Amino acid sequence: MSGYNPDELMVVEAARHINDGDVVLVGTGLPMVAGLLAQRTHAPNMCYVVETGPVAPRVLPTPISVSDPRVMHGAVSHGSLLSSLGGVLQRGLADVSFLGGAQIDRYANLNSTVIGNPERPKVRLPGSGGANDLASHSPRILIITRHERRRFPERCDYITSPGYLDGPDARKLAGLSVPYPEISVITDLCVMEIDRATGTLGVARLAPGVTFDTVQQNTGFDLHRPADVPEISPPSGDIVELLRREVDPGGVYLNG
Amino acid sequence: MGKSARNKLMSAAEAVERFVSDGAVLGMGGQSIGRCPMALAFEVARQGKKGLSVVGCNLAMSMDVLVGSGLVSRTECGTGNLERYGTAFRWRAAAEAGELAVADYSHLGMASRFLAASLGLPFMPIKSLLGSDILSTKRGEGPDPEYVLMSNPFSSEGEPVALLPALSPDVSTVHAQKADAAGNFSIEGFSTHEPEMVKASKAVVVSCEEIVDPEYFRENPGETTVPFLFVDAVVHQPFGGYPTSVYGRYEHDREHIVEYQRVARAGGDEYADYLRRAIVEPGDFDGFLDWALTDEKKAALRDEMERLI
Repeated sequence: MSGYNPDELMVVEAARHINDGDVVLVGTGLPMVAGLLAQRTHAPNMCYVVETGPVAPRVLPTPISVSDPRVMHGAVSHGSLLSSLGGVLQRGLADVSFLGGAQIDRYANLNSTVIGNPERPKVRLPGSGGANDLASHSPRILIITRHERRRFPERCDYITSPGYLDGPDARKLAGLSVPYPEISVITDLCVMEIDRATGTLGVARLAPGVTFDTVQQNTGFDLHRPADVPEISPPSGDIVELLRREVDPGGVYLNG
Repeated sequence: MGKSARNKLMSAAEAVERFVSDGAVLGMGGQSIGRCPMALAFEVARQGKKGLSVVGCNLAMSMDVLVGSGLVSRTECGTGNLERYGTAFRWRAAAEAGELAVADYSHLGMASRFLAASLGLPFMPIKSLLGSDILSTKRGEGPDPEYVLMSNPFSSEGEPVALLPALSPDVSTVHAQKADAAGNFSIEGFSTHEPEMVKASKAVVVSCEEIVDPEYFRENPGETTVPFLFVDAVVHQPFGGYPTSVYGRYEHDREHIVEYQRVARAGGDEYADYLRRAIVEPGDFDGFLDWALTDEKKAALRDEMERLI
């Protein structure tokens, strides 16, 4: 048995993308776990803002909803959707947002609305929620997802949340206030990052033991093959222990 | 025509009969598994108010029972979702069957539309949604546009900004922790889109865990979320948000929500059986609570919330 599972690897890598003092907009799930880990380790002054409004909560393990009392515990204010998504995000006070979606395409656009024709959906998904707002207004965007070919199509069926839309300057042309965000996609196989020259995702790091070819086989769009790709550092035993004992002690999210 | 500080206490049945009409644009409070106006939504379902447009941000079980009862023709929202417990399944099924019009926005998009109406303004600019299919799938021009794209007239750059129309529900339903008979009420914990939505609505029905003395909000004005001016009916309904959580009062009931999601996903007879047993047969929300909850379970949900705040 290896010392960590794929969820733990993704969470640890995502936590490394959070800097001390960052204002982080987050929902629940693996992103929340990654944020809590960062806060317990190298980023004690990270400030959570939850979509529903709470500012700087002392989150109790392990919340399952943005309406969960665990994400309000010890907050300095409770707030509202308007105060968090308007007054913090659109106002320009967020540093990092976490996002997810059923589909992520070459330009890091996200779909969480429909599979198939929007007029008569094959699968109706939950919709944007705050995701479009987070993607529109965050200078840094982190996406955690399992790496499966169907999740990475050439083009999303529907752009719920904007990545680079269809080119390097497309966000600026569309009028988005953050025209050139950093976007990192953290999967169980690799980390992909936006190349600002093309507005497209490229492989920046590989998970231990994973090859570029494996990533390409599991991705629905062509990836540029870099000459040399560094490996994601595996988490230390101490960090995995912290995750399992304190950050998500019930294994609500870190179960595989 | 003001909404004076008269006594507005009434039953859920009377409030829904008086203020919710067939075809109404119905504002829905709460979010996901938190503080949804379950008693009021169940009463709307019980009275069979038809052709509703349900509007809100994160619509969940209180919307789903209305869709599952065949009473909703349209939703406008950010999401239909119970997060870890899954999609709002009757809503999803109706959308996939083409039986329900779903107008998608982001949460900030919906909150901005309510904010505009709450300020008496016709529209609100927003910098979200730009470049997305949430806008591109809507009418952006013509006689009845759903949004308008314009250049910021105050900037030499003239960068694009989207204008969204104000949204004023015919009636909004919300569940709060405290209210008085005149309709002053207090939401504790996160307040979702409700302050803006309530102030934007033509009529407002608020249910609450606790009725406080008429002097309470005069002595504690910092606690007032919305003053009586905006409110038409006050319904005293302890556990009126059950099975969702109410901050400071009780945690959500995981077992009930998991079972609801199971039957909502299954649809058909199993779902019809839930509606019959939860809504029709009990006759009112206290009857539903008697069917769904023991005193021990109520105490456990209260204790769990106590531990978490």
